[in-house]
Amino acid sequence: IALQRFMLQPGALATKVLCLTQVVSVDELNDDDDYQDILEDMRVECGKFGALLNVVIPRPNPSGEPTPGLGKVFLEYADVESSSRARQGLNGRKFGGNEVIAVFYPENKFSEGEYEA
Amino acid sequence: DGSGTGRKRKSRWADDEPKPLIQLPDFMKDFAGGIEFDPEVQALNSRLLEISRKLQSGLPLDDRPEGARSPSPEPIYDNMGVRINTREYRAREKLNRERQEIISQIIKKNPAFKPPADYRPPKLQK
Repeated sequence: IALQRFMLQPGALATKVLCLTQVVSVDELNDDDDYQDILEDMRVECGKFGALLNVVIPRPNPSGEPTPGLGKVFLEYADVESSSRARQGLNGRKFGGNEVIAVFYPENKFSEGEYEA
Repeated sequence: DGSGTGRKRKSRWADDEPKPLIQLPDFMKDFAGGIEFDPEVQALNSRLLEISRKLQSGLPLDDRPEGARSPSPEPIYDNMGVRINTREYRAREKLNRERQEIISQIIKKNPAFKPPADYRPPKLQK
């Protein structure tokens, strides 16, 4: 019964910010053209789910220091309805051969520019 | 492919979702990517399951052999002269307390966690 209860729980609370994991490779992010392409692809495709306010794709640090959130893509929507639709629509889709996992990301962390978690 | 600025290139997004054959139900996806991945939360969750199972199993909760037990507290009796604080009762209380404590900790880490119906938040008292 405890297990059932546990499984029936709704997942993490929905937020306006969506995080796509395992999406882009470091090589692609290093290349300016590729980076712009990816940004454009994200804007076009992810904008279909609702008002997309912001796309953040952390890039590798030129100094070689590790960048928080590298390989992830953060999408900020105007409302939770849009981000929920996007999560539904994007989770499991393939981007450049990688299967995208879409999870909600805490809004406060996003607004503070924290991308590591 | 950094071949110039041709805007007619194909999007990297795969054509509209050739959905995986087995669609995981929604809660499983959260399960796979969400806070449950936090090893600390996982440890708490598994201990919580273990305790819940024990409490519901109906098996003796304190199965330490006679020699390994520490001294019992003074017996307490109810109005009918029946002992209240039996070994079994104390073991059950102890597990219940640990259970509530674990639930409190999980909630602290994951505010979205829906505690079981019988969970009572700890009273803020001195």
